[in-house]
Amino acid sequence: ILDDPDLKDIDPTVLKHCHAAAATCILEAGKQKADISAISACLEDCKLDKERIEQFCTEYQRTELITVVSFSIGRSPLHITDVSWRLEYQIKSNQLHKTYQPSYLVTLNVESSDSGSHPDVSFSCTMEQLQDLVGKLKDAAKSLERATQM
Amino acid sequence: KLNVGVDTVQHGVEGLTYLLSESSKLMISETDFQDSIHVLGFSDELNKLLLQLYLDNRKEIRSILGELTPKLPSYHNLEWRLDVQLASRSLRQQIKPAVTIKLHLNQHEDQTAQVLQTDPSTLLHLIQQLEQALGEMKTNHCRRIVRNMK
Repeated sequence: ILDDPDLKDIDPTVLKHCHAAAATCILEAGKQKADISAISACLEDCKLDKERIEQFCTEYQRTELITVVSFSIGRSPLHITDVSWRLEYQIKSNQLHKTYQPSYLVTLNVESSDSGSHPDVSFSCTMEQLQDLVGKLKDAAKSLERATQM
Repeated sequence: KLNVGVDTVQHGVEGLTYLLSESSKLMISETDFQDSIHVLGFSDELNKLLLQLYLDNRKEIRSILGELTPKLPSYHNLEWRLDVQLASRSLRQQIKPAVTIKLHLNQHEDQTAQVLQTDPSTLLHLIQQLEQALGEMKTNHCRRIVRNMK
């Protein structure tokens, strides 16, 4: 904006203030999910003339991006994005021979809302434990389904 | 009380320990065990006692030895909770479903609990992937290997 030839006659500080004000206005309107009439009413209170209000509202309606971005901002516990698994069959170790046991190695790929990377969560489990885990996840999914039907 | 020197007792205990732990580790059969101790030239009665001692304690010794193998954190339990986010500092009037999960893991006798979160579609994806993992043991490939290993 500072490089725009049409605006070079205006004091840059004033320009910055205007830009910040407009941005804040748009963000607040998006945050509150205000509709056009609410926005117009608010701008009228600020003593903006009708033509300017109409221009602002048309521009505002074009950008749906704000809601999408605001939707994803915010803290949350580590978010699981994917899972990898590995099935292995143990034959022996240096402490114990002839073990003959299947075991699963499961890694949950995890994403953090703060951009600091967080190591993925890995753990091993037997077949029974994995069945228990899947059973519990299925319970969660079932009650999700029931909740959406309410 | 045994009327022998401390050293003899200590050697005796060490010898017994070594005999039992090695035999259990290798999971040797009764005949092999008997053949092995026969070399030591003890009386038949003593050999029978040793064999009985081996058979009685083999399982427990093996489970203790099993704890010594290198291990990753292992699955213990999973708790879940269904949440719906209604608003946040950056956006009001939301309906954002999420599943919050508390994963309990064991490592080296410490229990850790980690709180994670996921959305409904990822949850279904996780269930599908892990069910595939469970199904793997039943495939012909895995069955053939298990049979041939034994």
